[in-house]
Amino acid sequence: MSDTGGNGYEPKIVAFLCRWCSYAGADLAGVSRLIYPPNVIPMRVNCSGRVDAGMVTEVLAKGADGVLIGGCHPGDCHYVNGNYKTRRRVQLLKAALEQAGVNPERVHLEWISASEGGKFQKTVEGFTKKVQELGPSPVGCDD
Amino acid sequence: MTKLKLGIYWAASCGGCDVSLLEVDEQILDLAAAADIVLWPCAADVKYDDLRKYPDGWIDLVLFNGAIRTQENLELAQLLRKKARILVAYGSCAHTGGVIGLANLSSREEIFTTLFKDHDPIPTEASQVDGCNLELPQFLNRLQPLDAVVSVDYYIPGCPPPREIISAVFEAVISGKLPEKGTVFASEKNLCDECPRERTEQPIAKIYRPHEIEADPEICLLDQGLICLGPATRGGCGAVCPNANMPCTGCAGPTAGVTDQGAAMLNTIASLIGVGEEGDAVLQDEDAILQEIEDVIGTFYRFSLASSGLGSVCRE
Repeated sequence: MSDTGGNGYEPKIVAFLCRWCSYAGADLAGVSRLIYPPNVIPMRVNCSGRVDAGMVTEVLAKGADGVLIGGCHPGDCHYVNGNYKTRRRVQLLKAALEQAGVNPERVHLEWISASEGGKFQKTVEGFTKKVQELGPSPVGCDD
Repeated sequence: MTKLKLGIYWAASCGGCDVSLLEVDEQILDLAAAADIVLWPCAADVKYDDLRKYPDGWIDLVLFNGAIRTQENLELAQLLRKKARILVAYGSCAHTGGVIGLANLSSREEIFTTLFKDHDPIPTEASQVDGCNLELPQFLNRLQPLDAVVSVDYYIPGCPPPREIISAVFEAVISGKLPEKGTVFASEKNLCDECPRERTEQPIAKIYRPHEIEADPEICLLDQGLICLGPATRGGCGAVCPNANMPCTGCAGPTAGVTDQGAAMLNTIASLIGVGEEGDAVLQDEDAILQEIEDVIGTFYRFSLASSGLGSVCRE
C-alpha cells in the first residue's frame, strides 16, 4: 500500500497518458526506480487530445476517484495542437464538474515530457495525496 | 381482426408529450381505427386498480412519457412494463431525463426548501386529515429516465417528439414491422447531417447567447459563436430549430453509440475555440472565451443530465 499518509483511504486514480511524452515519462520513472504510490492505473492514449470528456466522466462514474491526464508540453505536441485542445476541454469539464457537485480537483492535467520521470513521480505523489483527502468519488451514486 | 390495445402514460412530465400525439393530424383516425386506447390519464379516467387487473402483456403498446421522479412514477413504470408487450420511452424526459433532469443538480431537500420555504404546510408523505391517513407518493432522491428503472423496447426522442417520428412509430406498430429492441426512432447521424446551413470552418473567437445577435440564416450557428448542440445531438427532427434561426438545444439526446451527450458537446466547443494561431500567447484569450459560457451544465447537458454520470452525484 502506498505511503501517502493522511486518512488511510486508498484512492483509485486513472491516468490517461499520451504515448509520446507522459507515458514515456512514466516509463522513465519506472526504469529509474523512482518510487511513487501504486494507486494510479495508467492508460496509454495516442495523444492527450484523444481524452474525451466523456471518458473522464465515465471512469469517475465507474469507480475512479480521480483522473490524471498527462500530455506533452505546449508547443511539443506530436500532433501539433492536441494538447491545446485538451487544455480547453479540461477547463470546461472542470466547470461542469463543479456545477454538478464534484470537486474539480479530481481531474488534473499536467504536462510531462518523456525526459521528466521525476516530474511524473512528483505529480502522482501530489495528486494521490490530494485525491486521498477528497475521498471516494461522489459520481455514480445509486441511492 | 382484433384491434391493437394502446396505452399512453405520463410520469414526471409537462403534458406536452400527450399533446404532441395529436400533431399527426388525420393519422390519429387511422390509429383510432387500428387501436383501442385502454389507458390515457391525460384524456380519460383510469383507475390504477383496473390496470393491475389487466393480464400481463395485455396492452400491445404503451407510450410512456415523463421521467421517474416519484414513487408513483416508479411503480407505474414497473407495472406498465409488466402489462405492456411493447414499452416505448416517449419524449426527452423518458428517453434521457429531459430538461427536468437538471433538478439533479440539487438535492431533494434543496428542492423542497426552495419550493416550499415560505409556504405552509410543507407537504409530507403521510398526513392525517379528519382522522384519515393520507399518503403522497415519495419524492425520490434523484430523477431518472425510464430505462434506468425498467427495460425499454424503443425510444422516441424529442421535446416534444416531431410528428414524422410519431407517424413512423404508429406505422411500424400498425403494420407489425418492428425494428430491433432498443431502437431509437430517429436518425443514426447527428443533426448537422440534416441541417442546411453552410459550414465555414471558422474558429469561435467569441461566444454569443441567442438574444445577443441576429444570426445569419445561411451559415452554421457554431461558426457565428452560438452554441448549437447539433454536432452532439441525434438528428431526425429535420433541424427545426436551426431552420428557425435558433441553435439546437439537444432534446433528441446523444447520437448512436454515445452515452454522454454533454461531454461530447463540451469536446466539440473546446476544439472550436480559437483566437488566431494556437500557442502560449493566446492562452489567456482562450480562457476568457471559455469563461463567457455561463451555466455549463445547463448549456451542454440541458436534456441529458439525468442519463449521464454527472446527473448521479451523491449529495450529503
